[in-house]
Amino acid sequence: METTRKDIQFLLNDRLISIDFQEHPGLKPTTTVLNYLRALPGFKGVKEGCAEGDCGACTVVTAEIAEGRLVYKTIDSCLVFLPMLHGKQLLTVEHLADGNSLHPVQQAMLEHNGSQCGYCTPGVVMSLFGLYKNSHNPSRPVINDALTGNLCRCTGYRPIADAAADCCSGNGKDQFTSAEQMTLEVLGKIQSDRRQIEITTDRQLYLKPMTLSDALSARLRVPEAVIISGSTDVALRQTKKKELLTALLDLSSIEELCTIIADEHQYWIGAGVTIEQLRKFSHDHLPALAQMLSVFGSLQIRNLATIGGNVGSASPIGDVLPLLFACRASLRLQSASVERTIAISDFITGYRTTCLKNDELITGIVLPKPADDVFIRSYKVSKRKDLDISTVSAGFMLKLNQGRVADLVLAFGGMAATTACASETEAFLRGKPWDEPTVAKAMEILENEFRPLSDARAGATYRTLVSKNLLMKFYVESTAQEV
Amino acid sequence: MNATKLKHDSAVKHITGQSVYVNDMEVSPLQLTGRVVYSTVAHGMIRSADISEALRTPGVAAILSAKDIPGINQMGPVVHDEPCLAASEVSFIGQAVLLIAADSEEIATEAEKLIRIEYEELPAILTLQEAMTRDELIAPARYIINGDAESALATSPHLLSGCLETGAQEHWYLETQSALAVPGEENEMLIYASSQNPSETQAIVAEVLGVRRNEVDVEVRRMGGAFGGKETQGNHVAAWAALLAHHTRRPVKMHLFRDDDQKITGKRHRFFSTYSIGFDEQGKILAYKVNLNSDAGSSTDLSRAILERAMFHAENAYYIPNIHITGKAFKTNLPSNTAFRGFGGPQGMAVIENAIDRVARYLKLDAAEVRKLNFYGQETCNETPYGKLVENNRLPVIFDRLWHTSSYRERRAGIEAFNRTSPYVKHGMALTPVKFGISFTTAFLNQAGALVNIYRDGTVQVNHGGTEMGQGLYVKIQGVAAAELGISAENIRVLPANTSRVPNTSATAASSGSDLNGMAVKNAMEVLKARLKKVALEEFEKLGHTGIGACDLEFAGNRVYSKMIPDASIPFVKLVETAYINQVSLSSTGFYKTPGIHFDRESGKGNPFYYFAYGMAVSEVSVDVLTGEYKLIRADILHDVGDSLNEEIDIGQIEGGFIQGVGWCTTEEIKWDNKGRLLTHSPDTYKIPTINDIPETFNVKLLSDFPNEGTIRKSKAVGEPPLMLAFSVWLAIKDAISAVGNHETEPDFSLPATAEVVLMSIEEVRSK
Repeated sequence: METTRKDIQFLLNDRLISIDFQEHPGLKPTTTVLNYLRALPGFKGVKEGCAEGDCGACTVVTAEIAEGRLVYKTIDSCLVFLPMLHGKQLLTVEHLADGNSLHPVQQAMLEHNGSQCGYCTPGVVMSLFGLYKNSHNPSRPVINDALTGNLCRCTGYRPIADAAADCCSGNGKDQFTSAEQMTLEVLGKIQSDRRQIEITTDRQLYLKPMTLSDALSARLRVPEAVIISGSTDVALRQTKKKELLTALLDLSSIEELCTIIADEHQYWIGAGVTIEQLRKFSHDHLPALAQMLSVFGSLQIRNLATIGGNVGSASPIGDVLPLLFACRASLRLQSASVERTIAISDFITGYRTTCLKNDELITGIVLPKPADDVFIRSYKVSKRKDLDISTVSAGFMLKLNQGRVADLVLAFGGMAATTACASETEAFLRGKPWDEPTVAKAMEILENEFRPLSDARAGATYRTLVSKNLLMKFYVESTAQEV
Repeated sequence: MNATKLKHDSAVKHITGQSVYVNDMEVSPLQLTGRVVYSTVAHGMIRSADISEALRTPGVAAILSAKDIPGINQMGPVVHDEPCLAASEVSFIGQAVLLIAADSEEIATEAEKLIRIEYEELPAILTLQEAMTRDELIAPARYIINGDAESALATSPHLLSGCLETGAQEHWYLETQSALAVPGEENEMLIYASSQNPSETQAIVAEVLGVRRNEVDVEVRRMGGAFGGKETQGNHVAAWAALLAHHTRRPVKMHLFRDDDQKITGKRHRFFSTYSIGFDEQGKILAYKVNLNSDAGSSTDLSRAILERAMFHAENAYYIPNIHITGKAFKTNLPSNTAFRGFGGPQGMAVIENAIDRVARYLKLDAAEVRKLNFYGQETCNETPYGKLVENNRLPVIFDRLWHTSSYRERRAGIEAFNRTSPYVKHGMALTPVKFGISFTTAFLNQAGALVNIYRDGTVQVNHGGTEMGQGLYVKIQGVAAAELGISAENIRVLPANTSRVPNTSATAASSGSDLNGMAVKNAMEVLKARLKKVALEEFEKLGHTGIGACDLEFAGNRVYSKMIPDASIPFVKLVETAYINQVSLSSTGFYKTPGIHFDRESGKGNPFYYFAYGMAVSEVSVDVLTGEYKLIRADILHDVGDSLNEEIDIGQIEGGFIQGVGWCTTEEIKWDNKGRLLTHSPDTYKIPTINDIPETFNVKLLSDFPNEGTIRKSKAVGEPPLMLAFSVWLAIKDAISAVGNHETEPDFSLPATAEVVLMSIEEVRSK
């Protein structure tokens, strides 16, 4: 047996698909699931609305094995490369009706007049299907959350929300439930092969290791390979900039990177943990993080994007970074030979640059458990509340000692070329009484600390104003808490 | 089933992924993909275009420039001032210069990278302000005048003056511009278009190809949204695809990438308007003078008619005895702006709605009360500035009903109490009305045709000139046809708009789709029913039922029967077969023209509308005073559609139009840089509402018991008017800002009211 495999396998509903890219000149390892489907006969339901994961017209559902059962996830098929489907089941709008009878989510859409022009509808239906499989009697916020990733320009959404409430009141059973055992068997068989997938074509190399040690070897061997996991950021280089990605290292199948471990003092969050997985976890453990992650992209994005990717891209407007700064998180970096820990603030070296060496991977984030007397908040200000990029984001941490500031972090996104702390303001506040006049003075210092840009999202003046007002907001919330 | 309760005819196809859009079509394995290469400078001369390397790319079938156009290099719909491909001068970024046809999208994109176009840049006008300063008018200024505004302003007890900017809006139809051109024998060209105006698409394709219109067929099955964006600009991709198909003799499909669509196509016109308003102590408006200035972009497109509609709606729902409206459209080096739901109406209305809000704040009166005071009267004070009388005025009844159902007064008190104790979050509320004129203001466009075929099995095909863009026109037509013929809707198939079945049609626009086409279909039905009645009378006579007149016959329940002898009836299918055997034609055209529409542009007087549609909304918001972010808490809408043709479809139009308007008023902001490059060219930076942006409580009701005489089944048009109900949200935000200064200060305000605009305005209020 070869030590690597060069084909991928997945289920298209109940059909086992094997693709050896060398035998399919029409397909590249970076062919998106969207383009793959649309080129098949009978799969034109899935639509391209924007090719950047901002509209959800291309939403499909994947089912994968987790803890012995199938987990259904909505994803934007325009952002996903074919090999990322390996070992999963792919479901599209064409699979939902069971013979002549509509799926309950489709029936509800029909009854509530959920479609007008119909172009966003297949994506909406798939998001509803994802909700159907995951939620029983969802609340309105849960419904909205499942649908913020689906833009509809016709309906005004009300009938879609009504359809969601209506169809998810049942038991979540359907023909996929009946087929679950068979699906589990097929997927299990595919996944039992732990060999690295290595796809070589004329112009591209795509490596998909299944273990961390294989990943570290691959990293050493092909340091120029672009590292992806959810590919929600990197895919845009192809779909929007029309760039050919010649070498890719896909870490999405490495289970070791997908765990969250809590001990007495800290949380270990694997780099491959998805934002959605982290959001659910932090809901009970770190509400400030959950709050930020609830307005992170859309559910389709959060199901793909990973914490490692978000940190590794070092974007100045990355949503999670300011809070990680505020929590004084550190990163674990590992190469085939060495493992090291580095503070998050030292990791980022400039605009989208880091000190990650070309043989290293981010394996995880170490997040110290905040002490009970520490007040942490995150803020995201954007033009639109959901599925938008921050105009200004912030992660603040405060510890008081007898009414005075004992410890403080004021980290901002969107104010500089990197996530940055307002160090002068922090210095000013340390040791001072935490009261409104002092905070007002601190706001004056903060006003001059950054020189933000004016861009498509907002002007510099607004950014500055928001940054200092967020400090006031933080003060107000901290005093409300103290009572 | 009741015809007013039918589901959208494509609903099942939509939800199962089976509805076909142009980009889903593959008509031949030889089909090519088309791509447009566009200008990267806002104004300049093309010095050279090197396509040699691109042409050598394997899989490239053709690369065309202006000199390859066999017909006329024009695609301006009204005025021929818009080249199909730039020949020497380019006048905006996004203007088509070259066309590529290739085996695949990927190859076309690769080939494009190898093309080198050099420009000599020329000075460009990129802001409306600069165009106004340089008086770059696209057409002569227009005026609508009534009374003597100048003198009345001078003698008014109070006078306020100001200006208002309203921003552009991107249509953001989910389906970007698309067309598939299939060459036939000799000059024949079949276009599968995503166009609101198949007849104009046909005309422009014929002109560009240099062939006659009877050689071009255009079919539109459905659009994935349009909102006015495909009224003229759907023609562009059709013309480009047709040129490529003509040269390669192969089918060519064009489907724009999202970013290209946003960069290339025109948007809702941004306006800069100035006004003076004179009023008395009670808030009664005595005089209003307004200058409406629009950014037309680089060519005329529909800018004149859009400006005209802005002027027609400058007074909205209010009787103003002395009014002076000036309209000017200016030329800039940006994509030519175009139709967008409301068609200028929203831009005209925004100014008066903001002004009246100011009047109320100035006088410390409730703005809803001031609005009510100024509504058009029933018998007096009911003449519009252009001389048409406001008849069947629904404003008072809507106001009274909505005032109660929205609990306006109680909630106003609640908001004031809340704001007194909440320093960092303020609530605001506003009630705004809409009175929207229905008809094409270009009178001759108010016509429509239909073709109805009855088959021997009793099934019916209905053809009409209207296009389906999601608004539910086809199911409304199906309902009209079912009701007229008295047969089950399932026996009626409404066919895609096709220029060879119904010719010389007008755009599906101006909210007129069901008004015009419904009547044309009804007219065809009447012809057929007259023929069938004659056959039926003969049959009844054979059965011994004599003395029945044609007027006694009814079509209902899939039968024809006489009101005189209810138990004697003939099944529809049997009647049809009998007619066929008796050599009676079972096919008829139908035609309709709206009566009495005229308008004299010189005098600014006439009757440009058949009737008005009315609606009102009360919206409440909360605003975060520290960030400028806001949340829509509740909206109550009462809207007038006469007797609804389809209640759920109408509700869908109202809710969808309202939310689209909310987008324009709040988060949808368009920015260009100082070179004329669009900065907000994808949904990454251009933000239309998501499901979380709709009101937490959303009550939408149709005004009941007010049929509209003289229209198809006493209904009213519904497509555009609800968009303008969103001013209630915009002004509720302003009300919340105003609360920061305890309503003592008039907030600086513009549209869209992004969080940035709101926070800056709050700072301004605070500093005073």
